[in-house]
Amino acid sequence: MKLILDNLTKKFGKFVAVDHINLTMTNGVYGLLGVNGAGKTTLMRMLCTLLKPTGGTIRCDGKDIFKMDGEYRNLLGYLPQDFGFYPEFTVKDYLLYIAAIKGIRPVVAQERSKELIARVGLTKVANKKLKKLSGGMKRRAGIAQAMLNNPQILILDEPTAGLDPSERIRFRNLISELSEDRLVLLSTHIVSDIEYVANEILMMDDGAIVNHGTLDEILSAMPEKVWNCTVPQQSVPEITKKYKVSNMKAENHGVDLRIISAKKPCETAICVHPSLEDVFLYYFGEKVGDENDLL
Amino acid sequence: MKMTYFELKKIFSKPGNKIALILLAVTLCIASSFAIGDVFYVDENGERSTGITAASPLRKAKNEWAGYITEDVLRKVLEENALINNSEEYLSTDIIENEKAFSKKQGFRDIRELINLAYCGFQEYNYFRADSVTQEEIRSFYGRRTATLTEWLNSNEQEGRFSEREKQFLIAQYEKLETPFYYEYADGWKELLAYAPTIIMLVMLITAFLVSGIFSDEIQLKADSIFFSARFGRNKAVAAKIKAGFIAVTVIYWTMILLYSGVVLAVLGTGGANRAIQISSANWKSFYNITFLQDYLLTVLGGYLGNLFILFLSMLVSAKTHSKALAVTIPFILLFIPSFLSGISVLSEILGLLPDQLLQVCNAVKTFNLYQLGTKVIGAVPIIFIMYFILFCILLPILYLVYQKTEIK
Repeated sequence: MKLILDNLTKKFGKFVAVDHINLTMTNGVYGLLGVNGAGKTTLMRMLCTLLKPTGGTIRCDGKDIFKMDGEYRNLLGYLPQDFGFYPEFTVKDYLLYIAAIKGIRPVVAQERSKELIARVGLTKVANKKLKKLSGGMKRRAGIAQAMLNNPQILILDEPTAGLDPSERIRFRNLISELSEDRLVLLSTHIVSDIEYVANEILMMDDGAIVNHGTLDEILSAMPEKVWNCTVPQQSVPEITKKYKVSNMKAENHGVDLRIISAKKPCETAICVHPSLEDVFLYYFGEKVGDENDLL
Repeated sequence: MKMTYFELKKIFSKPGNKIALILLAVTLCIASSFAIGDVFYVDENGERSTGITAASPLRKAKNEWAGYITEDVLRKVLEENALINNSEEYLSTDIIENEKAFSKKQGFRDIRELINLAYCGFQEYNYFRADSVTQEEIRSFYGRRTATLTEWLNSNEQEGRFSEREKQFLIAQYEKLETPFYYEYADGWKELLAYAPTIIMLVMLITAFLVSGIFSDEIQLKADSIFFSARFGRNKAVAAKIKAGFIAVTVIYWTMILLYSGVVLAVLGTGGANRAIQISSANWKSFYNITFLQDYLLTVLGGYLGNLFILFLSMLVSAKTHSKALAVTIPFILLFIPSFLSGISVLSEILGLLPDQLLQVCNAVKTFNLYQLGTKVIGAVPIIFIMYFILFCILLPILYLVYQKTEIK
């Protein structure tokens, strides 16, 4: 399975949401990182044939996915970021309906939905209406629907958003389990999720892929270093103005800072291994908040 | 099939739609009771009964006059009428006594009404006109129908409304009607048709709430991304939605219409089905030479086609705008706009072809909406049937293509 994005562009009027992306993806888990408005969802929607590109192509094993039409969508499983259900349907009904529109034969659909309901831990609520389920349970039903057709390409847009920590961990493990022998594209704000499950990381900014590679490649390619130091409380505002601070923790004797900088920021600073969060902050730091903010 | 089943489940499982179904059942009960309740009978003691209890004696009284309305029958009606008019009961100032007199006229009341219509001007009505028609005059009963029409067509007030060809068409249609009329009790059909447009329109308005969300709900519920990214999301699943809409409209419409017809005809009787609609005073002037059964079939089939066309148009709006609220207003607009515009005479030709006419074919057959296609003059009824059938057939692929091309932005 090979997906090739060739000069992929999407414009909404004058706004360029996805800007000439060239990318090749094969089996494995791809983590898509970027701030809000970077173009992640637009890119994923094009990959799911929900939006037509303004320019460029997406080819699946050499064929244009928009020309493949149903043949391509047969390979696809998609969990959108903000998705809704049919409130009056039970979990079972919902999966059987999605199975029907995915072209799965009713007998197979019965078995497959039962198996997936068990796998995502919804057996006890299988006959409950979707409107009565918690947010986490709905997400699990969401991943189950995406997996119904045993997709070769699984696209997950912010799958862990709104989940509590334990549910997030369960979900992450589930994604890891499901990622064998298929192409998984996972978009999230939660950097640690990507750190745990992604084989390759794609960093997106202003509609373009600004950096990509394995976790180690991304970390080692960071042009600046990461430093740990403890400074008095009164010098914190000056340091945050001067450097990108990826973490700040108040202690009795001062404030522990994690600073991204090419140069040693202070005498007591110790160089440490960078994390993906540091890289994220390095690339997108200015876009996350206001220019002079502390947080 | 499974997809269509789930689409139907989506429609009928919504609490709002369950309320709409209850509303339909209430509508059915009210319309049926109005239709049945309209029939009344006054017994020899001057006591009035309505509905179920009135139906049987009224049928008996009217069927005493069943048969061809020949000159002899018309004379007999005039004689009986005059006799009753000179009776003590009729001349009394006591209402009960007057009712007793009326009870004697019930059997030939319909024929007496036809005499009133025949001997008034085309656009006039005088309830007492039959009382002054002479035995000599009554000879011209059938001729009067065409004569009053001709007089009306050539009057100043109708100048410019009809072309010569159209006038000739109308006169020819009147002359084609087989005479003498065969009369028999047909109140079941008359009442059935009187309330049929009401029930057809209400069914359409309520069904609009059920089906207008078929396409937009996917977007409103944010279920669209999963729907359109599924293998059949842009082909068979869209077709399943159309099928579900068709099944919902069809099942609801025919269930309501057949129940309504069944109840009304079971109570009031099916007699008179094959009689000309012109034996009813409401249809005396109609140029459509059809029977009550044909009128009924045209009305219910027209209602079905009208429901399909208007509701699928509403679904198209829902698919295009993704707004159920906007879609649900379409039937209201199509139904009520013609009423507001009906006062503008220059629009009468256009108004006669609007889809609301399909919902009231039994009323459309009473109007003089004519259209000239080349050298041929045709009434509005056959035109709207053909026109909206074609438009409905065009609407289906448009709906499919519009929804199929939906982009999730």
